[in-house]
Amino acid sequence: MRWPALTLNQKLAAVALVLGAGALFSQPHRGPVVKLDTRELAMIVEKEVDHVTPAELAAWIVEGRTDYRLLDLRSESEFAAYHVPTAENVPVSALPDFPLLPKEKVVLYSEGGIHAAQAWFLLRAQGHAAVYTVLGGLDGWKDEVLFPVMPAGASPQELARFERTAAVARFFGGTPRTASDAAAAPDGGPQMPALATPATPELPRLAPPVPGRASPVSAPTKKKKEGC
Amino acid sequence: MMPPRRPYMNPYLAGMGLGLVLLAAFVIMGRGLGASGAFSSTMSWLVNAIAPGHAQANEYFQGYLGDGSTHPLKAWLVFEVIGVATGALLSGLLAGRVHITVEKGPRASTAARLLCAFAGGMLMAFGAHLARGCTSGQALTGGALLNVGSWAFMIMVFVGGYAAAWFMRWQWR
Amino acid sequence: MMTPLYKYGFFGDEMSLLVAFALGIGFGFFLERAGFGSARKLAAQFYLYDMSVFKVMFTAIVTAMLGVTYLGWIGWLDLGQVYLVPTFLRPQILGGLVLGVGFVIGGYCPGTSVASLATGRIDGLVYALGIFAGTFAYAEVYPAIKDFVNSDSMGQVTLPEVLDIPWGLVVFAVVIIAVAGFWGATAVERWIGGKS
Repeated sequence: MRWPALTLNQKLAAVALVLGAGALFSQPHRGPVVKLDTRELAMIVEKEVDHVTPAELAAWIVEGRTDYRLLDLRSESEFAAYHVPTAENVPVSALPDFPLLPKEKVVLYSEGGIHAAQAWFLLRAQGHAAVYTVLGGLDGWKDEVLFPVMPAGASPQELARFERTAAVARFFGGTPRTASDAAAAPDGGPQMPALATPATPELPRLAPPVPGRASPVSAPTKKKKEGC
Repeated sequence: MMPPRRPYMNPYLAGMGLGLVLLAAFVIMGRGLGASGAFSSTMSWLVNAIAPGHAQANEYFQGYLGDGSTHPLKAWLVFEVIGVATGALLSGLLAGRVHITVEKGPRASTAARLLCAFAGGMLMAFGAHLARGCTSGQALTGGALLNVGSWAFMIMVFVGGYAAAWFMRWQWR
Repeated sequence: MMTPLYKYGFFGDEMSLLVAFALGIGFGFFLERAGFGSARKLAAQFYLYDMSVFKVMFTAIVTAMLGVTYLGWIGWLDLGQVYLVPTFLRPQILGGLVLGVGFVIGGYCPGTSVASLATGRIDGLVYALGIFAGTFAYAEVYPAIKDFVNSDSMGQVTLPEVLDIPWGLVVFAVVIIAVAGFWGATAVERWIGGKS
């Protein structure tokens, strides 16, 4: 069978068979296998442009910004007990399959920050460009936003600034504390990680009281679906 | 006088053309083609324009209306379907195949044909909405992506068609 | 991997509507080229004397399937970002059956009915009106059938995943089946054509 002697349809069939055979060796990226540029990622980590402080996140929520997605990487039960308002629960194991557009801005948090850092790596490896972790995780959120401590002996300007922080804390249902409230460990370092320290106030319930202005903590707008 | 009709394109070449358009959709948009969704969006818009209370209380229509932030007709598929009409007209004009006519077999009357067309459309709408797509959205798009539901759907379309063919032969043969 | 372009942020929603229109033109053009603006040609598939529907559809599937396979292989397409319609097995099986019956009764499917009415067919127009009516009826009964419609949810799954066979092998199998099918379809056409 010489090539010119074949009809057009026969040639098409031959091409299809050859390409089909070639496809036997293919490994199209439909799954979770990725390629990494480790140098690029190391640079980003060093420059520390991948963080968001709890205070910044709090400000975004108060402002009602919807240009990002906030993901809580802990388990469902932990999420149900308390989560940062507007957060979506995506346990780390579910993250690779969670539908996210590569161009979407994503903010991650976990209890302390380790899982968030690892999840940051996962998402960056999958090609997401705008991924951030909350510095300090939920612990940082509690310390900075929910239960901010007013330093003892603060100057008037610091007091004025603290008023704003305190207002934000109340917005989220937390309580600002003074330095004497906080049960400091003898060495003045971080609080003892106990289960129910009297000094650690109760975590607020999930629906914070609505302040004077409209609450930005509303359900995300329901976009219409489009079908096929 | 009707301009002469040109013969249809080699089906394999036409299929390749279609396949390349579908591939372009995958590469440019990250989605495939479709058609039935445009009818859903349009119907939801229409019902909402005539009886908004009813439309918004109906779960199916409400899904296509969303929260009102985007107009239901400002949908990808609606624009795509308008393109389909345009492209078909273009091809028809180039080939001299545009005329007002009713396609039917030699034994059927026009009235019967049109009645069947309407009924067939209604049935098909049910099938497409149950399946979340039609031959373009499910069979073509999902077929190329090796989607499980799409292949199951596609096979059943041929099964249903061949099963019904015997009963409808008066219309076509 | 920088494609799909839209998913990687190369253009926005407004532009995507223009893209939709442009792709639609290509779609409609080739549908009409194949003769699918004519219900008689489409229905002929189910009487075995013109298997163009099978040939066109499967050629398109094979073309696009090979395309995504090779583009995904060389890393030019992020296949994971291409939308897969979720699988609801029994509703989709029933839907296919109903659609097939509707196809032979009505003579079109939604896409081809648009191609048909654009080229002047009144039955194509009436068929499209039927789709609108059917959509309305479906929406009205939807609350009653909702549970069935959402049953058998398998999520977004592909044949390689479910059958636990490598992607490339499934692709190869589909190509073989398609080419064999085309050869068989042409044989059937000649046989039926010879009889009548």
